[in-house]
Amino acid sequence: MNHNPQSSDGKHDDDSTLSDFLGSLMDYTPTIPDELVEHYLAKSGFQCPDVRLIRLVAVATQKFVAEVASDALQHCKARQAAVVKDKRDKQQKDKRLILTMDDLSKSLREYGVNVKHQEYFADSPSTGMDPASRDE
Amino acid sequence: MKKSKSKKQSNTQQEATNVEEFSFNITKIAVSQICKSVGFKRSQILALETLTLVATKYLEALAKSSVSFSNAANRTQSNLLDLTNALHDMSQVGFRGASTLYDNNCLLKSSVLEDLSAFVSSTAEIPFAKPIERAKEREMEKVKASTGNLQRGAHIPEWLPSFPDVVSNEKCNKRVNGEELWENSSSVLGCQSDGFEEKRNPGKLAKERARVKFRINGGGKRVQLNGYSGNNLFSQTKDEEPEAEYKKPIKSKENQNRVYKRRKL
Repeated sequence: MNHNPQSSDGKHDDDSTLSDFLGSLMDYTPTIPDELVEHYLAKSGFQCPDVRLIRLVAVATQKFVAEVASDALQHCKARQAAVVKDKRDKQQKDKRLILTMDDLSKSLREYGVNVKHQEYFADSPSTGMDPASRDE
Repeated sequence: MKKSKSKKQSNTQQEATNVEEFSFNITKIAVSQICKSVGFKRSQILALETLTLVATKYLEALAKSSVSFSNAANRTQSNLLDLTNALHDMSQVGFRGASTLYDNNCLLKSSVLEDLSAFVSSTAEIPFAKPIERAKEREMEKVKASTGNLQRGAHIPEWLPSFPDVVSNEKCNKRVNGEELWENSSSVLGCQSDGFEEKRNPGKLAKERARVKFRINGGGKRVQLNGYSGNNLFSQTKDEEPEAEYKKPIKSKENQNRVYKRRKL
C-alpha cells in the first residue's frame, strides 16, 4: 500500500507510538485466547504470521464487547433510577445488575445490530384470556 | 458471573459435539468475563449467547474485510494497514478523523489505533478463566506416529494414498481413451498422422471429422473426406438413417460406395 512520504519527524513519531503500542500488546493478554482468535481468523481466510496482529484483533473485539456491555449497563442503571421508590429498594436493585435481552438489544441497535426477541409464544389465540370471554 | 441455572446443569452444557460449539462455548466464557469486568453481576442466558454470537460475527467480519483489503492489493497475507482499514469499516459509531480519512494518506495515525492503545493501557488484564485443551499437541502426536509420510507434510492425512511416482510417468504421453489436451490434438497441430490412434471405440466420435452437411431429400454427393479412411464414417451423411454412423468402420472405398448406393432411392 502506498502512502505519500511524510516529514521524517512525523513518521518517527508514528512509528515509535505504533511500535510502543504493538510492544505493549505483547504484554497485555486479551481475554479472548489467542488460539480461539486464530480459529476464527482462519475460518475467514485471514493469514498473518505476526502474533501482534492477532492480539490486535482480539483487543479490538474485546473493546467492542466491552463497549456494548457498558452501554447495556447504562440502560440497566437508567431503568433502575427511574423505578426507584425509596432507599431500600435502590440498594437492593444495585446488587442485581442483570444483563437482559432488552438492554442488550437497545445497546446493540446503536452498533447496527438489530436484535428482536419475542416476549413469549402462545399456542393458541385465546391463551391467557379470561375464560368467561373465550368463545366456546 | 452467575447464571440462573445450577452449576451441575451448566457443566453438562459445556460439552461440545463439534468444533463450532466448542469455540462458541469458549467465546461465551470470555464474553461473560468481559461483562463481569464492566460491572454486570448476572446475565440472562439468552442475552449472553446473543452477545457471544455478535462477538464472533464481529471477529469474522473484521477478518473478512481485512482479507479483502489485502487481496485487493495482490497480497495473501494481511498486515496492519489492512487491519486498520477493516477497523474503519467496522466502526458503526464513528471515530475522530473519519471525515478526512484519506486526505493525508496516513493510516497509521488513525484514531482507531489510538483508541485501542488507550484501551490497552487503561483496562486491566483479564486472563481467560479456564484452561483450554490444546488441539495442536494432538495433531503433532499423530504426525509422529508414522514417519513414512512425514515428508509430504502434516497437512495431508495419513489415510490418503501416497502420491504417484512422477518420474516414471514422464515417458507416457498418451491417455487410455485417446484423450489429449486440445493444444496437443492433431487438429491444432496441423493434421499430423503421428498422433493417429488405431484403437478406437466404435461408439465414440472420431477426433478428426470432416464437415457435416445435411440434406432433406437424400442422395446426391455428400461430404468429401479429407484423406482419412476407415474411421470417419461419422463425417458422412446425417440423413434419415442415423444408423449408418454406428456401423463398423469400412476400410475399402468400394464398400463406401456400396453404402452410398444403397441410400439412393
